[in-house]
Amino acid sequence: MQAKQQYNFEVVKWFAYMAVVYLVAGTGMGVFIASQLAWPDLNFDNPYISFGRLRPLHTNTVIFAFGGSTLMATAFYVVQRTSGVRLWSDKLAWFTFWGWNLIILGAIITLPLGLTQSKEYAELEWPLDILIAVVWISYMFNFIMTLSIRKVSHIYVANWFFLAMMIMITYLHVVNSLSIPVSMWKSYSIFSGVQDAMIQWWWGHNAVGFFLTAGFLGIMYYFVPKQANRPVYSYRLSVIHFWALVFGYVWLGAHHLQYTALPDWTGSLGAAISLAMIIPSWGGALNGMFTLSGAWDKLRTDYILRFLIVSLAFYAMSTFEGPVMASKTVNALSHYTDWTIGHVHSGALGWVAMVSVGALYHMVERMWGTTMYSVKLVNLHFWMATIGTAIYITAMWVSGIMQGLMWRAYDEYGNLAYTFVESVAQMHPYYAMRAIGGLIFFLGAVVMLFNVTVTIRRAIAKPSAEMATAANI
Amino acid sequence: MSDFLSYFNTNWSAMTVSDWVGTILTVIIFLLMFGMYFWVLRPKNKEKLESHRDLPLRDDDINSEKNDG
Repeated sequence: MQAKQQYNFEVVKWFAYMAVVYLVAGTGMGVFIASQLAWPDLNFDNPYISFGRLRPLHTNTVIFAFGGSTLMATAFYVVQRTSGVRLWSDKLAWFTFWGWNLIILGAIITLPLGLTQSKEYAELEWPLDILIAVVWISYMFNFIMTLSIRKVSHIYVANWFFLAMMIMITYLHVVNSLSIPVSMWKSYSIFSGVQDAMIQWWWGHNAVGFFLTAGFLGIMYYFVPKQANRPVYSYRLSVIHFWALVFGYVWLGAHHLQYTALPDWTGSLGAAISLAMIIPSWGGALNGMFTLSGAWDKLRTDYILRFLIVSLAFYAMSTFEGPVMASKTVNALSHYTDWTIGHVHSGALGWVAMVSVGALYHMVERMWGTTMYSVKLVNLHFWMATIGTAIYITAMWVSGIMQGLMWRAYDEYGNLAYTFVESVAQMHPYYAMRAIGGLIFFLGAVVMLFNVTVTIRRAIAKPSAEMATAANI
Repeated sequence: MSDFLSYFNTNWSAMTVSDWVGTILTVIIFLLMFGMYFWVLRPKNKEKLESHRDLPLRDDDINSEKNDG
């Protein structure tokens, strides 16, 4: 009888592959809705594919389908490798996999039908919210139990980041989603007015802070040292990075609500802590980059490492830009403009997607015991992702600042200098440019899906001699 | 009272129990965080903490995945 294998990578493989599929689906949808903004005829007067319904489907697909699958793949991979034990429960891991994909299917059906709670990044209706909570807790419980049976005394810092994300997202999701159902697919939030806004952005910014930052920092702290084959630059800095980030992030939400009915001091507090957060964020980014100290030459040949390191450059850039935009003076110009969209995408494409892609390439090679089918295609993907992101965010910076300036320009009589429609017309070239940048990024994701699929098929069809030997043991 | 000082003015009599609990917990966590910084940056603890740096590189032979699935 064959002994039980040391690790469960089967479920990790499925999560990793689905992450690549969802990256293509989510960015493809993003290109379509970006094109709708540039060329509104693409709405085809069809409510099911209108911008208003597809936009939340795009954000749910890239954040929760792609990002979530990546986080589940990497957390299950890292916790096993750094704890020296198999996942606590294979069945629970598969429950998490199928449950998470069922939620995504639910989003694909309900959002185009217009079934939504209208809370940003928390649009799904109450039955799906309950399912999210159950599946998320199954993921967290399996992770914690795996840590509890570890064979290594120290819990590596990457796992702290993953665990912080799991705990905080449970808390945030449950509180923000509290609602009174009035039918199977309609509910109303238990919060109202300014409290509803505050709770929503407490969730909204912490979805960024914990789901899209802490979790992906867990990825960075494992995969950068692993791919570079060098220990992390400073473990002490990683500990400070962790606690400062966990303490600070929960305060930031109010900076989304400057100049609203929210008490003024809450926005000031949010902005002040946002500025303070530059320190741990940059500390973490430098910690990742300096891990390459003495081995920078690896970047010339290791394209997977390039994804990981460039992601840190974008992380540093967007964690500087965010606090600047949170300050009241800049916020007066930037809020409600495309600058915010540019900022979000410099984080989402440049940081989250790039670090994920680096980790996914790394895991594909390791888990299938092979090398990528085409290194040239990995390189091509790297440049397409970098150039696509740069075009996207540049277009949105220009567009956003122009919007802000046009909206607040007035003549000598105190009348607004431009109508809103005039500002919309001025946006057209930048919206087209954004769609092109997004298209380049999307095509890069398609290249990745092709490369990963061929790599896996070849590894399965023609196992290497080492794999064959291992299988016969 | 100057505008600046009025910004920090608090109506203490209006503080509810949850306001006090939240305030006290926040201050305690803030102090704990600073205590943690002190502990982490203390030269005496450097070697102990930095000994975990290479944990991902120690996990086992690099091909271990090939035996698993």
